[in-house]
Amino acid sequence: MQRRMRWIQWLNDERWMGQLLILPMQLLIWFVLIIPMLIVIYLSLVSWQPIMGVDWWQAPFAGLRNYAQALQDQRFLTALGRTIGLVLVAVGMEFLLGLALAIFFHQQEFPGKRLFASIILYPMMLPWVVVGLCFYLLFLDKGPVNYILISLFGPGASVQWYQNPVLALMTIALADVWQWTPFMFLVIYSGLGALPPEPIEAAMTLGASRWQIFRYIVFPMLKPVLMIALIIRALEAFKIFDLVYIMTGGGPGTSTESLSLYLYRTGFVYGQLSYAAAMALLILILVAVIARLAVRPLEAELEAR
Amino acid sequence: MAREGQILIRLENITKEFNGTIAVRDLNLEIWEGEFLCFLGPSGCGKTTTLRMIAGLERPTRGEIYLRDQRITDWPPQRRNIGFMFQNYALFNHMSVYENLAFGLWVRRVPREEIERRVRSVAQALELEPVLHLRASRLDLSTMQRVALARILVIEPQVLLLDEPLNNFRPGLRELMRAELKRWQYQFGRTMVYVTHDQEEALTLGDRIVVMNAGHIEQVGTPDEVYQRPATLFVASFIGRPSMNLLPVEYRISEGRAFLVSPDFEIPVDERREIIEKSRSLPNLILGVRPEQLRIHDPQESSPPDLIRIPAQVDLVRPQGRKLILDVKTRSGALLQMVVPSIRRFVAGEQLEIAFYPHQILLFDPQTGKGLC
Amino acid sequence: MSNRIWVSWLTRWGIVLIVSLITLAPVIWVLSLSFKPPQEWLAYPPTLIPRQPTFENYLVLFWPGNPVGVVSEMVRTAEPVTRAFLNSLLIVPISTALSITIGFLAAYGISRFGAGGNFLPFSVLTTRMFPPIAFAVPLLVYYRSLGLIDTHLGLILMYTTFTLAFSLWMIKGFIDGVPRHIEEAAILDGASRWRVMFTITLPLIRGGLAAAALFVFIMNWTEFLFALVFTSRFAVTLPVQVSRYAGAVGRYYGPQAALGIVASIPVLVAGYLIQRYLVRAFTFGLVK
Repeated sequence: MQRRMRWIQWLNDERWMGQLLILPMQLLIWFVLIIPMLIVIYLSLVSWQPIMGVDWWQAPFAGLRNYAQALQDQRFLTALGRTIGLVLVAVGMEFLLGLALAIFFHQQEFPGKRLFASIILYPMMLPWVVVGLCFYLLFLDKGPVNYILISLFGPGASVQWYQNPVLALMTIALADVWQWTPFMFLVIYSGLGALPPEPIEAAMTLGASRWQIFRYIVFPMLKPVLMIALIIRALEAFKIFDLVYIMTGGGPGTSTESLSLYLYRTGFVYGQLSYAAAMALLILILVAVIARLAVRPLEAELEAR
Repeated sequence: MAREGQILIRLENITKEFNGTIAVRDLNLEIWEGEFLCFLGPSGCGKTTTLRMIAGLERPTRGEIYLRDQRITDWPPQRRNIGFMFQNYALFNHMSVYENLAFGLWVRRVPREEIERRVRSVAQALELEPVLHLRASRLDLSTMQRVALARILVIEPQVLLLDEPLNNFRPGLRELMRAELKRWQYQFGRTMVYVTHDQEEALTLGDRIVVMNAGHIEQVGTPDEVYQRPATLFVASFIGRPSMNLLPVEYRISEGRAFLVSPDFEIPVDERREIIEKSRSLPNLILGVRPEQLRIHDPQESSPPDLIRIPAQVDLVRPQGRKLILDVKTRSGALLQMVVPSIRRFVAGEQLEIAFYPHQILLFDPQTGKGLC
Repeated sequence: MSNRIWVSWLTRWGIVLIVSLITLAPVIWVLSLSFKPPQEWLAYPPTLIPRQPTFENYLVLFWPGNPVGVVSEMVRTAEPVTRAFLNSLLIVPISTALSITIGFLAAYGISRFGAGGNFLPFSVLTTRMFPPIAFAVPLLVYYRSLGLIDTHLGLILMYTTFTLAFSLWMIKGFIDGVPRHIEEAAILDGASRWRVMFTITLPLIRGGLAAAALFVFIMNWTEFLFALVFTSRFAVTLPVQVSRYAGAVGRYYGPQAALGIVASIPVLVAGYLIQRYLVRAFTFGLVK
């Protein structure tokens, strides 16, 4: 009886309760995230491939060799550049389109607005692979896109989208834009909605035209929101994998390979796990640095308010 | 100072509906050039809506607005050259004070030298020179108010519209800023339309006051007129602190003479017979007398024949600085408020005689609320 | 005057129409493809409405060798997708439920007890930045030793953890929104803190939990990379199956399209349900 009461009392004791509540989460995070992190660091510093037949904890030490190799790996570097380019183009377009849509939505009132919003938003929810599949089917040689091109511009306009690396990358970018513009739209639209109306009204009474108001009042006020949206989306886009895998498989050859895809191949197809680990960490450092740089102007903006 | 006869803005049959709710109904008003006009009324009476319609921030559902005989009902705010000051000032926080002031001129592509000249002259008048380079978000409240005002003055608008701009100030500072505003209005000679729910403020500031309630105008008049001769029950009870005492009375004719009768007193009203008899609510009327008009009568003293005296008992004593507000209860249970100089102390339960002169009273029609005389 | 109005009316509806078309077009195309018999798959010119609509493409997904029609002949050797479908139906809801539950507990702990201090949110944030590959590599190694490869459990553990950060962030926002004095009143009345958590706070944020659950559901359902790496036969999920199928049946576009549709339906339903919460969730997070 005494024991039971003490046990219950302990359960209720505030100091312990908090720890207990986060316990499951701690366990999972350690198990699935933190320990693997440590293992990755370890792996990147040894030279191990499963084919070698030894257990991973017995792999020979290799120091920074993997890193050096990665920095000289052409395929790695081109994949990096390619991915960055892809991100810039895709996210750039998403930003502009999302902005335009958000402004349009914010200023216009019309029946069926809700329905229109639902329609615009659903691409975000589809599995990437399905989106990839959709667009793959659209850009087939005998697919609807080519059909439209031919009807508009004549028989020579049919394009073999997947034979040309640049065109193939374009289709991938287009798929990404199609899927994620709604995200930008949503974020910017929320931001617009959160803006106080009075400064805008004040600008109106002071004689500013709609465009002037947007450029000098609304846009500056939106900057923090825009920057956050861009950073979040860019970070996600950088990891692009599913779309590339299913639309082009990196091809033709390896000319449309994204960074994640190359890493995947290195580790899980070619079995060079240590090398993949090293590359992954390199990317991590790169992303962290860029993110830090990108966040700096944002902090400055927020400071000034 | 108001120059009667020079109409700057005219509102004709203005009605504004929001989703089925009527915010403003059939409003007609003339705003004179150079005057300080106050819109006064409780929250939700439509005063801010009306102000916004004058500015062009809202479109009237029906009716027309004229600016010096030009129909501007459909004009967007940009075209009207009207200055609007918001309750929370709505400064452009990401810009400096100078840029805020220059904005109105800058968007109209006024040449830089002229912008500089005009901004500096207004800044000097409002003592804003020290803060011109600061970011608007870093200012304190009273400075923000001056910047907001300066911002509108720079564009030299035809009229300045102010939406409860002093709400954010604590009482002491509020009176100070009030005086400043009045001074500036006089100094710059601009027409100002000022919205407030504080009747003391309106009475202090306005050349004329527009009392509004539930979307329509109750009375338009000078502070004096509104105070001494309220046109409706609403105005009578809204203006004045403490508010006017209102008592139901009955109109009776006895032996050829007219009287107003209540459980506590009888007042002869032969002089006003004609006007009173026009009311359709007879015999019921409402009598109004201001707390300052009630005085304590020493029963020993003689009194003029027309003084009405009522025995009453002190209910509550509320000190107000050099004055006292007494809540007294008459024999019939009616509660009256009176204001007396705090010469002596009063005790609850004390018996008094209160008195007033019949010519001071106001009469109202209980059904229409309109004042009779 | 009315001319101007007419023009703006036209542009407005024009924009709405064009954007709607662009958004709906790809899916409509795939939908129509999924109902087309083989001879129409590459028909030229491509048509929107199949001339001879058929359910065969769908049938063939689950029952490849079916005796009904022509398509089955082509894909006879392909795997039925039933397994992948069931796997997804099993793994995703379970991981979602776990993620929300654990997330709720942890969020409550952090919100009301400040558990985890500053370290926790920081670590949670940084893990978002890692390329998933960085985790896949060691996890593979580690899972292999533990025998968790190609198991439902293995996948559930991963999915739960990956979405934990999101659940936490979202649910914490909702819990923060519940005023403390409501809970304190109950405590003064003698309720234990556990009781308060489950009988008072939980019901108040029901809507938020549902919204978070739907988001997590979508994230889990559409997850591809890890499923690809960690499953091969038993625990295959639908997205992986989609890609495999595409590889396996090559030019047989009909069934592929059908599979794409099948794989999308649950998330579309979930997406429809969270319509209203979308805007709120985003403003919530960004205001922070």
